[in-house]
Amino acid sequence: MTAPAKAGALVRLLLDRFPDLAAGLWTDEDTVEVTIEGERNVALLQVLRDDPELNFFFLADAAAVDYGPTERFEVVYHLYSDRHPAWLRVRARVNRADPHIPTLTDLWEGAMFHEREMFDMMGIVFDGNRDLRRIYMSPDYRSFPQRKDFLLPDDAADSSAAGVRPLERPETWDLTRLSDELAPGVVAHAEAEAEAKP
Amino acid sequence: MTSEVKIPDPLDLDLDEEARLRRVAGLPAAKTPAGEYAGFESVGLPERPPQTEREREVYTLEEGEMLVNMGPQHPSTHGVMRLVVKVRGEVVTDVDPVLGYLHRGIEKLCEEATYTTVLTYVDPMDYLSTMHNEHAPAIAFEKLFGVTAPPRAEYIRALVVELNRVFSHSLMMGFLALDMGGITPILYGFINRDEIVDMLSAISGQRMLFNFFRVGGVNWDTNDEFLSRLGTWRDHVLKNVEMSERVLTDNEVFRSRTIGMGTLSGRDAIALGVSGPNLRASGVPFDVRKAHPYSIYPELEFEVITQSGGDSNARYLQRIAEINQSIHLIDQIVDKMPHGAVQAQVPGIIRPKPGRAYAAIESPRGLYSVYAISDGGPNPYRFRMRDPSFISLQAIPKLMPGRLIADTMAVMASFDPVMGGVDK
Amino acid sequence: MNIDLLIGVLRFLLATTLILLLTVPTAFVVIQMELKIIAGAQLRYGPNRIGPWGMFQSTIHGFKVLAKEDHIPDQADRATFTLAPWMVYMAAAMSMLVIPFAPGAIAVDFNIGIVYFFAVLGLSVVGLLVAGWASYNKYSLLGGLRSAAQMVSYEIPLTLSVVGVVVLAGTLNFRELIEWQRVHGWMLIWQPVALVIFYVASLAEINRTPFDMVEADSELVAGPFTEYSGMRFGFFFFAEYVALFIMSGILISLFFGGWLAPWPFPDQLDGFIGTIYGVLWFFIKTYIFIAVAVLLRATLVRVRVDQLMGMAWKVLLPLAMVNLLVTAAAVLVFKL
Repeated sequence: MTAPAKAGALVRLLLDRFPDLAAGLWTDEDTVEVTIEGERNVALLQVLRDDPELNFFFLADAAAVDYGPTERFEVVYHLYSDRHPAWLRVRARVNRADPHIPTLTDLWEGAMFHEREMFDMMGIVFDGNRDLRRIYMSPDYRSFPQRKDFLLPDDAADSSAAGVRPLERPETWDLTRLSDELAPGVVAHAEAEAEAKP
Repeated sequence: MTSEVKIPDPLDLDLDEEARLRRVAGLPAAKTPAGEYAGFESVGLPERPPQTEREREVYTLEEGEMLVNMGPQHPSTHGVMRLVVKVRGEVVTDVDPVLGYLHRGIEKLCEEATYTTVLTYVDPMDYLSTMHNEHAPAIAFEKLFGVTAPPRAEYIRALVVELNRVFSHSLMMGFLALDMGGITPILYGFINRDEIVDMLSAISGQRMLFNFFRVGGVNWDTNDEFLSRLGTWRDHVLKNVEMSERVLTDNEVFRSRTIGMGTLSGRDAIALGVSGPNLRASGVPFDVRKAHPYSIYPELEFEVITQSGGDSNARYLQRIAEINQSIHLIDQIVDKMPHGAVQAQVPGIIRPKPGRAYAAIESPRGLYSVYAISDGGPNPYRFRMRDPSFISLQAIPKLMPGRLIADTMAVMASFDPVMGGVDK
Repeated sequence: MNIDLLIGVLRFLLATTLILLLTVPTAFVVIQMELKIIAGAQLRYGPNRIGPWGMFQSTIHGFKVLAKEDHIPDQADRATFTLAPWMVYMAAAMSMLVIPFAPGAIAVDFNIGIVYFFAVLGLSVVGLLVAGWASYNKYSLLGGLRSAAQMVSYEIPLTLSVVGVVVLAGTLNFRELIEWQRVHGWMLIWQPVALVIFYVASLAEINRTPFDMVEADSELVAGPFTEYSGMRFGFFFFAEYVALFIMSGILISLFFGGWLAPWPFPDQLDGFIGTIYGVLWFFIKTYIFIAVAVLLRATLVRVRVDQLMGMAWKVLLPLAMVNLLVTAAAVLVFKL
């Protein structure tokens, strides 16, 4: 791609408008990336959208990334502008212990499904979003599947379906097996195997 | 353990006349005072409090309104999608799409897969544009790993991707007619599709989930069967397209059903995140192939086609124009295709350096993009897909109020959503 | 006991039994035509496994329906739910009584056959409305209401268009009407506007594409039939195709000379041969119009419900009235 020269123009423009973005600024062949704190997202993206020289009018993507239980969440926005031949990536950091970030639905209505998906999968709360409910999982679901500390057995034992669904061999399917105490059926199974071995 | 459930009898004389009529009409048993929350029971769901303001709004009935479930088992919801439609008589007053019936957690699955196997997981997403599904991750992983596909591989990619676009758009024409009760165009669409699918199965070995792209190239070079099928198809494709188009384009009934229906202005379309043919039908010349050229598109000659109407008819005409454009592109690709290898040298297990890559392509339904993060391991740390039909669906609740039930499906079909992609 | 009365009763029973029996093969033939013609329009083979050229596919479908589970929803109104298919089917079958197949082959040669026909055919809307009401299903209810609105609206232009024909021929009897056409030429020449109105309105009356709002599979699943299964659904299904046959038969009787043969052939023969000859021409013409209706289904998309009603009240009804006015004036002025 022939981007770098023109991406340079975008970088200069960005630094001109927001000198404090220099710290988190990074480019690759066709992307310019800036990193901000979560609370700033609406203010920054509004300027990016409305400034005629920047003109990032199209919200191409909004995704959440979990950097692990001890780290942080990031909400990553990708923006398109017909003025600049590079994607603009805005990484907004979110506190993982208390994941709140302002909503973008006032700027782009289309951010609604993105934010509902992020809420559903990561549990990030978008303040001001008036329809923040689960979009893929059922409304009574309690976990956030795309978090890095999500474990399926934990989740299943925690869900409303735990212990209700008749499984073929409940003794081997015991979903509480991660607890210290083995379920009786599993113990019996293990003993029978130990006896058969010698 | 059986519990006594009293099945209500519509002729139950204990009930007063009002309650009995309401029951037969499928309305909630007790008359809801106007403007009060009706609850989920009226669409056959367990009762629970509404979670959001918007949910309360949808499930609150004014006098004379009722909620109708369209889907997930409905003849025309393009897969398993549920629209909760609030109607007053035949007039739609609100629509709430309920998704997730086909959710497979592909993003999460891909975090457990190696970079090569990710390309197989994304296939069943948008099952009408399988080649496109593989294209974006392939580009993203190549960026991450720092490898480029050989030129011939890029040409073959562009070729199969454009072929895929042709059949996807052909089917859209059929589905649009099918949702209005026209039963023939869908068959013509499938004729177009079958020829292309046979062709693609000759080159990739599979009919639907092609699994053809690799990191650093494609799986196979072209072969004789593919090329001969391509030649035969190219001879009569224009005639085929014209045949399926002629059933609809000038059909007076079809025009009266589509013109002015679901009109979406360019500004609204951008705000809603609608992309691809649907956005261009609203007059916004945004095509990723031009806006952020990838693969070999900078070397090909084509213009971004737009329509001015922004209604169902414009979206339909846009598809036809893009079919012809794709055929034109296929001609150029076949003319210019170089010789050479189709795969770069890539290790079996790919371990890119830690980094981030974003790749967007123009799929038949719009901007399809992948955001991949590598932590240096053999599988992506985070793999994010933006599916265009998922985002485009947001336009439906915007467009439907004030229209008739009959238009709900017709307008939805004009956006051409594929539930495999919507639900990931 | 009066012997004439007995003969009359016996004749009536025989005629109705024959007509009822006739409806089933008629439906089979029409369904088979639909399968094959639509297949042709869609560049498919269509059914080609059961019988020569797949001829018995629709018959097998009919028997399949008999073997299927007949399910009544828990909360449905059982009495009316069970009754509705019969009402629709009997409306179709009973209106077949006055169809003039050939000289001597009319089940009941009514002197007010035309009035009887429209009266009885109009009953099917009651059946559809009841089906939609009794099913305890929102789709059914909407479909039933649509059917009431649609069929009641279209009955008006349908009947008004026929009034012109009646005024011209001066009879309400189908046999006499065809005799009139034998003398004066087919009604097609005299009443072309009425023909167009009648054809459009009759498609709407029997819920054929592009006016199949009642079923509207992509909107209302199957309209009033959504909750029906087994033979109860079969009755609705048969009634629909029998109605198509009847409408085509009435159309040709009113406008295309019924059993009369077209120009190069002798238009009518005497005796038993004459009956066979008449039946032959009647079926040829009727099936041509059924084929046209089937081709329309293969070609057109469905109109929307408001467009449908608008057409009935804003286009067809005024047109039919003007047509009637002009016809009546012409009859008065030229003493036809």
